[in-house]
Amino acid sequence: MTYKIIRAVSVAALLAAGLGCTDVTTAPKSTVTGANVFNDPSSYRAFLAKIYSGLAVTGQQGPAGKADIQGIDEGFSQYVRLLWQMQELPTDEAVIAWNDTGVQELNTQIWGTSNQFLQAMYYRIFFQVAMVNEFLRESSDAKLAERGATDALKAQVATYRAEARFLRALSYWHGVDLFGAIPLVTEDDPIGSTPPQQASRTDVFNYIESELKAIQGQLPSAATVEYGRASSTAATMLLAKLYMNSAVYTGTARYGDARTAVEAVIGSAGVSLDPNYRRLFLADNHLSREIIFAVPQDGKKTQSYGGTTFIIHASVGGNMNAAAFGIDGGWWGLRVKPELPVLFTGAADQRATFFTNGQTLAINSLTNFQEGYAAPKFQNVTSAGVPGSDAGFMDTDYPMFRLGDAYLMYAEAFLRNGGGTQAQALAYVNALRTRAYGNTAGNITGAQLTLAFLKDERSRELYWEGHRRTDLIRFGQFTDQGLWAWKGGLKAGKVTESFRNLYPLPASELLANPNLTQNTGY
Amino acid sequence: MVVTRKIFFWMIAATGILLTTSSRVSAQGPTGSISGTVVDSASRQPLNGVTIVVGDRRARTLGNGSYTVTGVPAGERTVRALLIGYRSTTRTVTLGAGASARVDIEMPAQAVALSEMVVTGYGQQRAASLTGSVQTISEEEFNTGRIVSPEQLIAGKVAGVQIVDTGEPGGGISIRIRGGSSVTSSNEPLFVVDGVPLTIGGGLSSGRNPLNFLNPSDIENITVLKDASATAIFGSRGANGVVLIETKRGGTGSHLTYTGSVSASDVVKTADMLTVDEFRQAVNAKAAGQAAKLGTASTDWADLIQQSAIGQEHNVAFAGGTGSNRYRVSLGYLDHKGIIEASKTRRLSGAINYDQNLFNDRFSFRANIKGSRSDDQFTPGGVVGSAYAFAPTQPVLDATGANAGYYQWASNLAPTNPVALLNLNTDKGRTYRSVGDVEGKYVLPFVDDLTTTLRLGYDIVSAEREIFSPSTIRPGALARVERRNPSFSSPLLDLFFNYARPVGGERSNIDVTAGYSWQETRTDHSSYVATGLSFDVLGPNGVPAADKTETFLTIEESKLASFFGRMNYSLNDQYFVTLAVRRDGSSRFGEDHQWGTFPSAAVAWRIPDNSITNAIPSLSELKLRASWGKNGNQEFGNYKAYSDYVIGDAATQAQFGNTFVTTIRPNAADRGIKWEETSSTNVGFDYGFINNRINGSLDYYYKKTNDLIFNVPVAAGTNLSNFVTTNIGSLKNQGVEFTMNAQVLQRGANGINWNTSWNASTNTNKLIRVNSVGSGDEKIQVGGISGGVGTTIQVLQPGQAINSFFVYRHKRENGLPIFKDMNGDNTINENDLYEDVNGDGNVNQDDRVAFHSPAPKWILGHTSYATWRNLDLGFTLRANIGNYVYNNVASSQGFYNALNGDAPSNLHSSVLETNFATPQYFSDYYVEDASFLRLDNLTLGYTLDGTRLPKGTRIFGTAQNLFTITKYSGVDPLAGVNGIDNNIYPRARTFTAGVTVGF
Repeated sequence: MTYKIIRAVSVAALLAAGLGCTDVTTAPKSTVTGANVFNDPSSYRAFLAKIYSGLAVTGQQGPAGKADIQGIDEGFSQYVRLLWQMQELPTDEAVIAWNDTGVQELNTQIWGTSNQFLQAMYYRIFFQVAMVNEFLRESSDAKLAERGATDALKAQVATYRAEARFLRALSYWHGVDLFGAIPLVTEDDPIGSTPPQQASRTDVFNYIESELKAIQGQLPSAATVEYGRASSTAATMLLAKLYMNSAVYTGTARYGDARTAVEAVIGSAGVSLDPNYRRLFLADNHLSREIIFAVPQDGKKTQSYGGTTFIIHASVGGNMNAAAFGIDGGWWGLRVKPELPVLFTGAADQRATFFTNGQTLAINSLTNFQEGYAAPKFQNVTSAGVPGSDAGFMDTDYPMFRLGDAYLMYAEAFLRNGGGTQAQALAYVNALRTRAYGNTAGNITGAQLTLAFLKDERSRELYWEGHRRTDLIRFGQFTDQGLWAWKGGLKAGKVTESFRNLYPLPASELLANPNLTQNTGY
Repeated sequence: MVVTRKIFFWMIAATGILLTTSSRVSAQGPTGSISGTVVDSASRQPLNGVTIVVGDRRARTLGNGSYTVTGVPAGERTVRALLIGYRSTTRTVTLGAGASARVDIEMPAQAVALSEMVVTGYGQQRAASLTGSVQTISEEEFNTGRIVSPEQLIAGKVAGVQIVDTGEPGGGISIRIRGGSSVTSSNEPLFVVDGVPLTIGGGLSSGRNPLNFLNPSDIENITVLKDASATAIFGSRGANGVVLIETKRGGTGSHLTYTGSVSASDVVKTADMLTVDEFRQAVNAKAAGQAAKLGTASTDWADLIQQSAIGQEHNVAFAGGTGSNRYRVSLGYLDHKGIIEASKTRRLSGAINYDQNLFNDRFSFRANIKGSRSDDQFTPGGVVGSAYAFAPTQPVLDATGANAGYYQWASNLAPTNPVALLNLNTDKGRTYRSVGDVEGKYVLPFVDDLTTTLRLGYDIVSAEREIFSPSTIRPGALARVERRNPSFSSPLLDLFFNYARPVGGERSNIDVTAGYSWQETRTDHSSYVATGLSFDVLGPNGVPAADKTETFLTIEESKLASFFGRMNYSLNDQYFVTLAVRRDGSSRFGEDHQWGTFPSAAVAWRIPDNSITNAIPSLSELKLRASWGKNGNQEFGNYKAYSDYVIGDAATQAQFGNTFVTTIRPNAADRGIKWEETSSTNVGFDYGFINNRINGSLDYYYKKTNDLIFNVPVAAGTNLSNFVTTNIGSLKNQGVEFTMNAQVLQRGANGINWNTSWNASTNTNKLIRVNSVGSGDEKIQVGGISGGVGTTIQVLQPGQAINSFFVYRHKRENGLPIFKDMNGDNTINENDLYEDVNGDGNVNQDDRVAFHSPAPKWILGHTSYATWRNLDLGFTLRANIGNYVYNNVASSQGFYNALNGDAPSNLHSSVLETNFATPQYFSDYYVEDASFLRLDNLTLGYTLDGTRLPKGTRIFGTAQNLFTITKYSGVDPLAGVNGIDNNIYPRARTFTAGVTVGF
């Protein structure tokens, strides 16, 4: 009997062992993994391209799909769209009509810590940072040597790395400007679950400065750089923006450094003022030499629901003929606050692009598109009047930095005791005004060149270009000073708490990273 | 995997030791053998697992009821047959030395409920000896009428099982057994059809419900395994409960059955939108500037998209068999229209079952093949929503003939004419699916009572979905055709051993099952989308030149290897112990956690007859049960542990100079991802009164799920995206279930017989944790609604029920939400309307709070079945209490500003009460109590016994959803498992007439 049992058990065991495959490992078939992707040398370029496109699109499938970040509608999650909303909606320049969760809180400066747009911007910034860090890790000298990279590839990758570091510095600048003290994560911090420490605003400032100084020499000049990629001038311009707001970020003014950097930008080969102001915001603006760093958009190749696709669609509605702006229909969203049109006292100023037919200047209801003038500054038609390649997605590139801004920064740095000459400052300001008026009729005198004038002039020249909130904070006019319609939730406007000069760190981030302290007031 | 081999050998060895200890022999003197068959005295069905005791010799009957006891000392011997649920029976026989005697035994059942065999996964067990929480619903108890998929058969029948169906023909159905144990992984139970675990979900079907391939009329019974001791044998797939479906098999003698029915459905309720006159008044009063856009027509859009839906169904089955083989062949055809035009389902199904016994019944072979073709025609997207939103003052047709002759608004933000959508767009799917297996069971010759079973099964799907929209659908539209062709295949191998025999004392039995299972799946998703077609004329049947063509191909594979074992031990039919364990290795788990072990244990004590009857004279049965076990849930996506690089498509490139560069993006991944683990405890008792005329059970359970997979925000900068899918949360469910079956009247063949069953269950669900480091204040927003973009209305928050609604507390006056300037700042905004919950002086998103949940507090079911002479009457009542629904139709259309813009759209009539000018999506006003009582099913039948008709011919009529009592103001209080009523398919009332004929 016992023998029989042993025999039975052995037969069963053999049978099971024979059939009993226990290897269940199954690697993906339809995707590439980190183990093999860099076998193809073009992957470095493709990865760098992703970091650039992180500013332009929202995922790996256009116009939406395989999203980069989560926790928000993918269309909302586009870098420029989020940045634009946070820089423009709470200011005296813009207002949006929609009822998407939390967007009205931006119009009126009453946002809370769980506002989805603030949260998504924060995560967008760190998505860019994480991509750059991973790129730098994967393209290190050691990794390249290990994979047997050719010298030609190594040389290319060296430039790629400098570009990636520029893009990281750009995002950290947005981070330090919008959120203040944020974690500083670099390629030396491996992927893992240990939450990083919070860096002070000054630490982040210093890091951006040192990074930009380190890469300036490694980036191509503006005269030779491929369109859409970072030049050394772009890095210098970013440095100038950083210095310009140094007093806000660190408490120490650096207007002299700002002026020096601005001078370097203005003197760069390959950068010049565009004779046609309006073209800067049209579908052929990639031809303009004035744009120092753009987020390129193409109606077919870079589709998302952000960037100028958002700005142009949202700024059309009411009695406007959508086709005239090169689009398939308005989204009835963006208008200007009543304070903006009245800044344009000279009727000949071409920078005023307001659409008033059927629109009222005053806004009684934030959510009614036809209250508040429309402002089709950005359009999807070329300067020759030809519509863009797609009526749903725009060809118009988003000008992140342009020379006109540098001209005004020079004047402001001069007025803030950053050196330079009044004559030069006046020349730069009047160059812009001459372009705007088509003649010198709008030119100002040295006596008129004041900070108060510049605050308004920056709005006239740069409205809806994503600078306003930073400017108003620098001028001390964003929260506890300064008044415009609907500020603080009142039609007449009221001053708000000064802590709103910074956005709150997202509630979800504070829960995920216990090392962080929330910005004061929230 | 050395470890797993070791475990397997350990299990085999354990079995061996049991065999050794239980098979000691003491044969002395002249002996003979006794053999025979044991059958149920009433049904004449052979009885399996009967203990035969002759002196100190024992045996057990096989599946065909036969037994052989060897080594019985010669002389006059008493043969005792013992089986739980049956009265023990003795026969006396005189056995000569070296002779063999035949003793056939008939055993009377003590109570039908106790004597039935219940399938338990890799085996079956007599109901009376069960230790876990298991409930079987057999054919007689099934719901009838317009039933397309198997789940509908048991709606309202099983305590603790929530079945959320829709009004769509063959529409998808959600099942929650004892509440959801997961948040982001599947909450659906594992379905096992004739031993083959099915894959559902994963988009492998092009129809509505992946279970529609199975014709309900082929189903013999459905068993629901609820507690962990019952489901542990399914390991990493058992956490949501298991539904075992057994199909009908042949019997002896051949007979043909035909069942046919015709049915008609109508819409019970549509959304309460403004009438034409109310709409006209609203525009003139609230949006006078839009008066020019008011048309002159008077159109009831909702009425135009609805229809009286006719359906028919025919099933033919031919079954038969001889002593050693049995077969059943069936064919079914079903064609049901939906109550919204253009929706329809049609199915052609076939099933073949064959059983053969060979070699003196030592070997049995069984084959099952089921296959079907399902054709589903879908209502094109947006029809229901457009019908509610489209201005009723606009005409259906456009006199100018533009837009294919249909009236359309010019703006692309306006709704599309629903009649145009119905008539111009098409959306169809066709799914072929077949599931089958062959099973060989061999009673091993060299060890008594050891049976081995080898099962080879398969599940294959090939499907096609085609969606077409012409350029004429609305101004500026691009013609678009989409075709998806998923195919799926999954082979299965099960090899298991069963050893069952009496041991030790008289009624002491051991039943051990141990085995190995391998199942793998492969899914090919291929699809293409072509937009901007140059011609509309080809419809979905061809792709003329297109502006943009995208093609996709994704191949996914998964593997699951398992070792499992179960031991049932019973002593004196009083004490029962079940131990079960499964060890699963899955390709979905990360490197460090590729194998998981899922154990369980259960005990039961059946209080002996005399002691209970002494205490309570009418009490006839009382069994106390307790169980504990761990289960897993691995129904999340494949490859979650792999950090892959996602290649961008042609529309997400980066511009470098004049070239566009395709991008790659590394994905965030948790390399250590593993199953979600649910530990459950169950205590309960089964009772019977008056000789079990009244019987049932009461159970309490507590389930805690750990390592819950969440897509959670991670500290910024620490991973490659802001969210990572990882095992991080935990939640709990606890509840009570009560079941009672009562034979209220038993008046014989010519009197009234009335059976009733009642079930009630309550479940509370609470999320405990969603993050490892957080303070517990995390709020993950879920539950997308229409209105705004990306707007969500629910929250996952520790301490709250899953998917609690996440709303502002609306200030009220006279019970109605206010809409006026309360703080005198000349504006109406959140500060006026809502409570400042956090007291910071501003009402913003931070003031939203969790408020009620979509899960019902109580689920009640009642079924009555009565016969009188040839008449039979049955009905099923179903009630949910304490479930809440967010009325998204009201919130997205219930404000006057919707009259503005390019196209004034119709309003929900709630606006007449609320006077909201702007949308208040987050107002708690829209979270409504959706408790309901519904007469799900009422059936009246008459069995003809005239001599001219075949015996057993029955004609019947069924009414489904005859009435629903609810306070909910929307279309249907059962608005999806997540309780968001967003233009859902309306509920139908259906009348069916049919006939069953047997030959």
